[in-house]
Amino acid sequence: MTEIKAIEARNLTKYYGDFLAVDHINFNVEPGEIFGFLGPNGAGKSTTIRMLTGISTPTEGTAKIMGFDIVKNALKAKSVMGIVPDISNIYTELTAWENLVFTGKLYGVSKAKIEEKAEKLLKLFTLYDRRDEKVVGFSRGMKRRVCIAMALINDSKILYLDEPTSGLDVKSVRSIRGLIRELNEDGLTVFLTTHNIEEASQMCDRIAIINRGRIAVIDTPEMIKTAMKSSRSIEVAFNKTVKGTQKLFKSLSSVSEVQKRGDKMRLITDDPSQTLMQILKVIEENELKPITLNTLEANLEDAFLKLTGVEMKAEVMHKRRNMK
Amino acid sequence: MIKVTLLDELKRSWAITVKDMKIYYLRPHALMFGILFPVALFFTFSAGRNMPPEGLIPILAAQTVFWSASSIGPVSISMERRILTFERFLSAPISIISVLWGKMMAGFLFGVGITTLAAGIGLLWSGQSISNPLALFFGVVLSAMVYSAMGILFASIPTSSPGEVTVPLNLVRIPLMFVSGMFFPLDSMSGVGVYAALLSPLTHTLDLLKLGTGGSSFFGFTVNLCVLSVWMIVFLYLGQLFHKIIMKRE
Repeated sequence: MTEIKAIEARNLTKYYGDFLAVDHINFNVEPGEIFGFLGPNGAGKSTTIRMLTGISTPTEGTAKIMGFDIVKNALKAKSVMGIVPDISNIYTELTAWENLVFTGKLYGVSKAKIEEKAEKLLKLFTLYDRRDEKVVGFSRGMKRRVCIAMALINDSKILYLDEPTSGLDVKSVRSIRGLIRELNEDGLTVFLTTHNIEEASQMCDRIAIINRGRIAVIDTPEMIKTAMKSSRSIEVAFNKTVKGTQKLFKSLSSVSEVQKRGDKMRLITDDPSQTLMQILKVIEENELKPITLNTLEANLEDAFLKLTGVEMKAEVMHKRRNMK
Repeated sequence: MIKVTLLDELKRSWAITVKDMKIYYLRPHALMFGILFPVALFFTFSAGRNMPPEGLIPILAAQTVFWSASSIGPVSISMERRILTFERFLSAPISIISVLWGKMMAGFLFGVGITTLAAGIGLLWSGQSISNPLALFFGVVLSAMVYSAMGILFASIPTSSPGEVTVPLNLVRIPLMFVSGMFFPLDSMSGVGVYAALLSPLTHTLDLLKLGTGGSSFFGFTVNLCVLSVWMIVFLYLGQLFHKIIMKRE
């Protein structure tokens, strides 16, 4: 017997008029997984999440949530999920307690269960002492926590989190990340969209990178970094700015690109050991005094830029050529 | 196995009604169009016309139920679009029809409550008695359903500003008052005017309220009930249809 996937997207497509926002994407999310969904602005992240949660109807393709089709079996599919959108959509005129009770009723949870669960969640999210206060006076971080608590009142099996830590202070970010990890350890499947690549790298079991409506890659963060070997680099800084150094490094046979980053230079290379030797030779010949010399492994941000930025650059150039 | 029954849907729908009652009944838009507007219109066009109380009370009640019941849906739906709480309903295990039904009930109860209060004060003040309780009941209750459904239909306009819903709604509400026998008696109207009056739901609200407070119905009790029922079905059907179309586009 095949195991039911938490989320199963098949040829999921969305057109807005003639504009193709999401282009026949396919992916699975396993139960108990934290699945990251990354992409630049306008890549199709929000449209995908809206289709997966039943807010928007797919133009083509299907999505199954714990085996229930989001279009044909919408009510059952929606019963097993909780959603935290990028903007905390809570009723600020109601108290934290009333918000949770209302959401519980909307999901058909019994009165006794709502009260038990609301108390547990508000205590977990350190909001219990302020449960009878109207949400309008809460900070952004507190509103975010109320929003996450509302998404969990129905014992959801899948939690969609759209930019959960965006715009929050460091303390709230840590607290929310900790809560997500705790909930995941208890078996909750998490579908996380974020702009914060470091967050995705730290939290997700697997990541999908979407660009211009298409999935560019799906893999574990480490595998994505490893696959982007060409993004390894050496960072070097000198005690003073020496004219022409950038040009010198650019001429090295093993260096594909030199990026100036503040007082440092980052040399992109396929072969860090050969580049290191070549750099040392340049230093010696030019009597330079290095104060920093670091070998950097590929990171997810580089992979992300490589998968999305390069393609976008090519697209812009193609458009410019066509305009001419 | 997860199963959502009709009773479950009704319970969830009622949760929306109660929540809307808590949040939107005291909103400026609801107070202005639900209470101030009908009272102001009543005093502007009806009071001081030397009309007997049996003529004034139905006009006051008809205007109140017409304006108040149709005011909550446009305010609540457009505001919920603005703060994105409407998306909560779309991603919750509840059908769009039940969501709209919950919203409609909030408008309906607002309309019934305000009209009962206004008509009650009017009847006490004038010392007039209720001659046909059934007509009065349908004149308030069925009408509140019709106008609340009308508000929901206009709230399908995809906007996050209540003003952008109430302006087109007023473009319908205000002309309706002039073809419904409220300011010009139906028996003084020409053929076209009478046909327009027959089609207007407000005519039948006024007819039923007149019948309930000792007056007579121009089109008759049965026609009044049938026309109001048809409008309720039409508004409800179109309302959910338009909301579904908007959902598909989003």
